[in-house]
Amino acid sequence: MKVVIFSTCVVDLEFPNVGIAMTEVLERFGCDCYLPKDQICCGQPTFNSGYAKGTQRAFRNQIDALLSVDADYIVGPAGSCVAMIREFPEFMKDDPQYADKAREVAAKTFEFSQFLWRVLGVENAGAELDGRATYHRSCHMTRLLGESESPYALLAHVKGLEMIPLENAHDCCGFGGTFSAKEPEISRQMVDAKVGHIVDTGAEILISCDPGCLMNIGGRFNRLGKPIKIMHIAEVLNSNVDESRISYLKQMPV
Amino acid sequence: MGIQTSDKPLLERVKESEQDKFMQASVAKAQDAQHIKREDSRALLGNWEQWRELGEQIRQRALKYLPDYLEQFSDNVEKNGGDVFFAATEKDAVDYIEKIVKETGAKRIVKSKSMVTTEIDLDKRLLAMNKGLQLMETDLAEFILQEDDWDEPTHIVFPTLHKNRDQVREIFMKLGYEGDNDPMHLARFARKFLREYFLQADLGITGCNFAVADNGMINLVTNEGNADLTMAIPKTQIVVMGMERIVPTMNDAEILDNMLCRSAVGQKLTSYVTFEKGQVAGETDGPEHFHVVIVDNNRSRALGSEFQSILQCIRCGACMNVCPVYRHIGGHGYGSIYPGPLGAVLSPILGGYQAFQELPYASSLCGACTEVCPVKIPLHKLLIEHRRIITDQRHMQHGLNNLMMEAIGIGTGFPWLFRTAVRFGHLGLKPLASKGEVHAENFIKPEGSVKGGPGLVGGWADVRDLPLPPKNKDSFRQWFAKHKANQPQPGDQKANQ
Amino acid sequence: MTIYNREAFLDRLSERLGTPRHQMDKEPFIHRNQLPEETLADLSSDELLDLAKNTSEALHVTFQVTDQTGLPAILDEYLKRIGAGQLILPTEPDQVADYQLQDWIDTVAKERTVKYWDPKADRATNLATSQDSMVAIGFGDYLLAESGTITVPTTPGQGRAFNFLPTHYLSIVKRSHILPRSTQVTKIYDDKIKSGELVTSNINYISGPSNSGDIEMVLIVGVHGPLDMTYVVVNDR
Repeated sequence: MKVVIFSTCVVDLEFPNVGIAMTEVLERFGCDCYLPKDQICCGQPTFNSGYAKGTQRAFRNQIDALLSVDADYIVGPAGSCVAMIREFPEFMKDDPQYADKAREVAAKTFEFSQFLWRVLGVENAGAELDGRATYHRSCHMTRLLGESESPYALLAHVKGLEMIPLENAHDCCGFGGTFSAKEPEISRQMVDAKVGHIVDTGAEILISCDPGCLMNIGGRFNRLGKPIKIMHIAEVLNSNVDESRISYLKQMPV
Repeated sequence: MGIQTSDKPLLERVKESEQDKFMQASVAKAQDAQHIKREDSRALLGNWEQWRELGEQIRQRALKYLPDYLEQFSDNVEKNGGDVFFAATEKDAVDYIEKIVKETGAKRIVKSKSMVTTEIDLDKRLLAMNKGLQLMETDLAEFILQEDDWDEPTHIVFPTLHKNRDQVREIFMKLGYEGDNDPMHLARFARKFLREYFLQADLGITGCNFAVADNGMINLVTNEGNADLTMAIPKTQIVVMGMERIVPTMNDAEILDNMLCRSAVGQKLTSYVTFEKGQVAGETDGPEHFHVVIVDNNRSRALGSEFQSILQCIRCGACMNVCPVYRHIGGHGYGSIYPGPLGAVLSPILGGYQAFQELPYASSLCGACTEVCPVKIPLHKLLIEHRRIITDQRHMQHGLNNLMMEAIGIGTGFPWLFRTAVRFGHLGLKPLASKGEVHAENFIKPEGSVKGGPGLVGGWADVRDLPLPPKNKDSFRQWFAKHKANQPQPGDQKANQ
Repeated sequence: MTIYNREAFLDRLSERLGTPRHQMDKEPFIHRNQLPEETLADLSSDELLDLAKNTSEALHVTFQVTDQTGLPAILDEYLKRIGAGQLILPTEPDQVADYQLQDWIDTVAKERTVKYWDPKADRATNLATSQDSMVAIGFGDYLLAESGTITVPTTPGQGRAFNFLPTHYLSIVKRSHILPRSTQVTKIYDDKIKSGELVTSNINYISGPSNSGDIEMVLIVGVHGPLDMTYVVVNDR
């Protein structure tokens, strides 16, 4: 199966470890991966800040880039960015050149954990990670993409990993894209509340499906001098893999 | 007070809110308690998504034919013996109410909770215009605010969320209260104090949760019973309603009441849900004179615009109860009587961008508001719409560095520019980076992190460390290119599943 | 009776909406689902009673069920619990006859002051009587199982303030008048108002005693309305 990696600008600029882990996991499950080099960004930073006109070029570029390889699926390591791609048909519906393409790209784009669980039907990715961890559910992945099950389902099968529920998991971590930089006085209080709840779990590892949130929470942990290990779910599922542990769901999720 | 409660900049209000630890703790506690109550009540009802769709449909229908329904409603109020005044502006509304007060010779007015009367600053204007007139807010929270020299509300359902029992006790002591700070004792005092006042009242002013077009009745939803006393005792009643409060039928009002009560306070129905109009023959109490004032006051700006859906709002306050920004900055942080996500969308429409242009940015766009809204208002998308108008149409200054945002727009539009950014990210940010201890493992690199910088980088780094981007040779793109080069050609590879 | 400023106001809205006025009838309004009607609609009479009892008690309502013959004893016991003080009753001869309460009223009147909401008296008199009453015993029209709600349309003999000024309140309602939800009762009232069978200015849906959480979100039961509520469901004869 041919899969285009939608790497996201954050991973391209900051977190190669996430992109590498995702690629390795996808290949382990039989995906033939491609990374179109013209892809940049889903356009959220400017679009969500109100620069709708200024974002049109980014939308078009991203659509063209992601469709430049005739793949079965497009998979990205960020719930928020994938949710944005899913909204492209709405944004581009009056653009005669791009309306169809936007629908095409949205229809085959999935968030990484969602793709593994819902499309490939992976139950156990074969990973092993000893430690106590908690999971940060990102707002856009749960509310806009509507995916609140796949990460929990996959993490539950990681050998040695103890998952501890996070209090007030539904509250935003205060990232919000440019919000974090434009309104730092509000964002700081939000991320501090999140850090507090994470510390309260006693977890050593913080896992998420959104590098943006991890960048925010991890950055705050470091600033506050509190210890934590930051891991994207792809890194967790790529840890100490024993392929004999791999199993598939008997029934596909609905 | 009118819609604007403060002319201080957002940042200043945010800092003031952070000082108010009691308020922050109260809001957090209220949000957490309401979360459980609201979700439980919705789960018990079942099929909540389908209820939302129905609620949305009713509200959209009312707006689509707003002029027709208002015409039908006003005809019916007239048929029932009442007067209807259409007020385009807040001044028109206040002038008319003032006229009624004068004509009836009213001396003691009782009011039940109404956001629109706060919006048009009715209380203070009436008191200023009429020497010797007495006016009393009778909802417990509004009464507390009034007696605290018209303090600003912090929530549309729980206006005194920011006040603790000791503050309430102090306020009541000025009225002769001598007891302790037990909320029960405080409430009993207010009951007695206001009951005496009620019995002498000659004019009642109420709001309106829903106005029923096809029979001219109004529908009020309360817990304390003060609204019903306001409608029972005085000879004259003035109903003040935002023009969008209309619904087609009693059935529609009742459906929305069910959704309102669950969303606002997690109750199936509040203690009192009332349908009423002016007195009919044979009855001895209730209003002999019944007036409805239908207020536009810039609501019509939203009609036919990208913001029309904000008029679907049924004022349940659930969006405030889930908002993580509201959780920290509280109602006063918004500087509007309509706080939270609803307020951030509605205030610029009613009060203009000059006064409220900062509010659409006071959101992380987490979408909790959109998710919780019982009538499916896409609140976070409307915030983005405001931002779009502020930047793309009005070119207003809004604190985001335009040059930088436009640069990002260009940078995310041209692949070669972005590849350059990937290539030089490490070098570009390295001068800003400093070495320090690594606390966030697998995240901050030993070579350092960015702890300060210009523009948005500074906003970010005021609060958190930014990992120094990897060197170009260590980027994902470089890794992938090498990785791919070591694999068989794509066309040859067989899927191994 | 007058309507002020209407045409200009509505024309402006119509212009903003971009659609002409008076188009509403061309598009009938049909709800996209019937959940309000369907929810809890399949409950049996016993299940409705159980649900009504549970929800009412969760609202701090004292909930009692009795046969006709047991009603006087329940009311006696209630008044004893409330203690001394004036009782106000509605002027509803048909209901009093229906529940066969005249003898009981006559007996009670020997022990305490019994007053009526009087259709022939003026506003001030009825308000004063209600205010001076320690307790009101009134007739509920329907009882809603889902929300523990009694419904009370205002009548000349049982005015609005009757339900709000007395300190304690008891409502008598027929077992056969338990409905699943507010949707059913609202339809009944809507139909009766439209047909002219019900002439009233006010319909109260009352769910338990008045309450407030305005001070530190602490639930206070009993604010402006009655401090407590009792529902007595009477099995139909």
